[in-house]
Amino acid sequence: MLQEFNYLAPKSKNELYTLLKKHAGKSRILAGGTDILVELHNHWIAPANLIDIKKIKELQGITFNDSEGLSIGATTVCIDLINDKNVKQYYPLLADAAGRIGSPQLRNRATIAGNLCTASPCADMGCSLLALGASVELGSADGVRVIPLKDFFTGPKKTQIKPHEVLQRIIVPAEMAGAKYGMRKLKRIKGHDIALVSVAMARTKSVMRAGIGSCAPTPVVTGDLSPKATVATVISAVEKVVSPIDDVRASREYRLFMTRDFVEKIYPELF
Amino acid sequence: MKIKLTVNGKKYQRDASETKNLLHFLREDIGLTGTKEGCGAGECGACTVVMNGKTVNSCLILAVEADGCDIQTIEGEAKDGKLSKLQQAFHKNHAVQCGFCTPGMIMSTRALLQTTAKPSVEQIKEAIEGNFCRCTGYQQIIEAVQDASGQLKKKEGLKRA
Repeated sequence: MLQEFNYLAPKSKNELYTLLKKHAGKSRILAGGTDILVELHNHWIAPANLIDIKKIKELQGITFNDSEGLSIGATTVCIDLINDKNVKQYYPLLADAAGRIGSPQLRNRATIAGNLCTASPCADMGCSLLALGASVELGSADGVRVIPLKDFFTGPKKTQIKPHEVLQRIIVPAEMAGAKYGMRKLKRIKGHDIALVSVAMARTKSVMRAGIGSCAPTPVVTGDLSPKATVATVISAVEKVVSPIDDVRASREYRLFMTRDFVEKIYPELF
Repeated sequence: MKIKLTVNGKKYQRDASETKNLLHFLREDIGLTGTKEGCGAGECGACTVVMNGKTVNSCLILAVEADGCDIQTIEGEAKDGKLSKLQQAFHKNHAVQCGFCTPGMIMSTRALLQTTAKPSVEQIKEAIEGNFCRCTGYQQIIEAVQDASGQLKKKEGLKRA
């Protein structure tokens, strides 16, 4: 048995907003549950209410159109992203990144939005969505605000989400559709493991970016670089945004070395 | 909370505690103890069941979240006292030692075989990526799945007495 909490399962966005406002600071949102249930199991959190958002139709599904781009609903799980035909065609980097998360059991259950909200420095979706210049839409009874993903993460396991807000969808801009891309993830074993270093890069006719995971307190991204930037320019832009630490999994030096190495390996794949 | 779900083709209706995970619900409320608890945190895969055709860690799902779902567990494998073809292949190929990971291994490979009749070694490895075995070693498990899908040649694999 887990600790006591009330299980709430609203059926609409408005119902959810009301519950979030009423229980602000005393509730946690439950989507895939692959992080939340571990935190409950380990007694790291003790919310009075667990609000399951999976029954809310407005938060489901992946859509694509030429003007806005790709919209990933809050309850979209990794395997849905991997199998989505628009994702495969226009944003294959996202399918690639989602396929590197955890194990099949986790990919069948874990949501993309949840991966961002957990805000681990090694969030697998973080570096790829950052490279694609994604934004997140936060909703609440007070209204809706859209913020760039690069401003969303504020520290390890910390984000801009306020206690009465929900991340309702992720938006990937239309101009990044069809971007050339590459990704590398360094881990101890092939399969279920978290990244020691991950790098995702995307390049269109007008911009190039590199997103990096596990090398700073949050996933980070370079500024918008010229699509003609040299590999040396990209590496120097990456070095400006990373600040890896020594920890039980890898040293600072190893992480820096592998970050540079990955950029060098991905770069030719972008042309 | 009252929930309805189907487990191995049989319909159940129970009053489930909101704070109980699906794993404990299956073991304690339904009485199906074949599904095991290893880490309780989604790392080891011992608690793997198939939910609506997809493998999941039953320790990371609340019983109330499984309301209306179709669940397959290890107990759904053997029929009329006879092991399933997949179970027989695990037995024959020595893919079981202590047996603790086996229910999870079988459910992960069952889900694979439901979508892929003749999986490659790479596909088998990927399917059991989230299932830890600490004694048999994975080779025999891979061979068992190849055997169950009619792909194991006689002289392939480890030679045994």
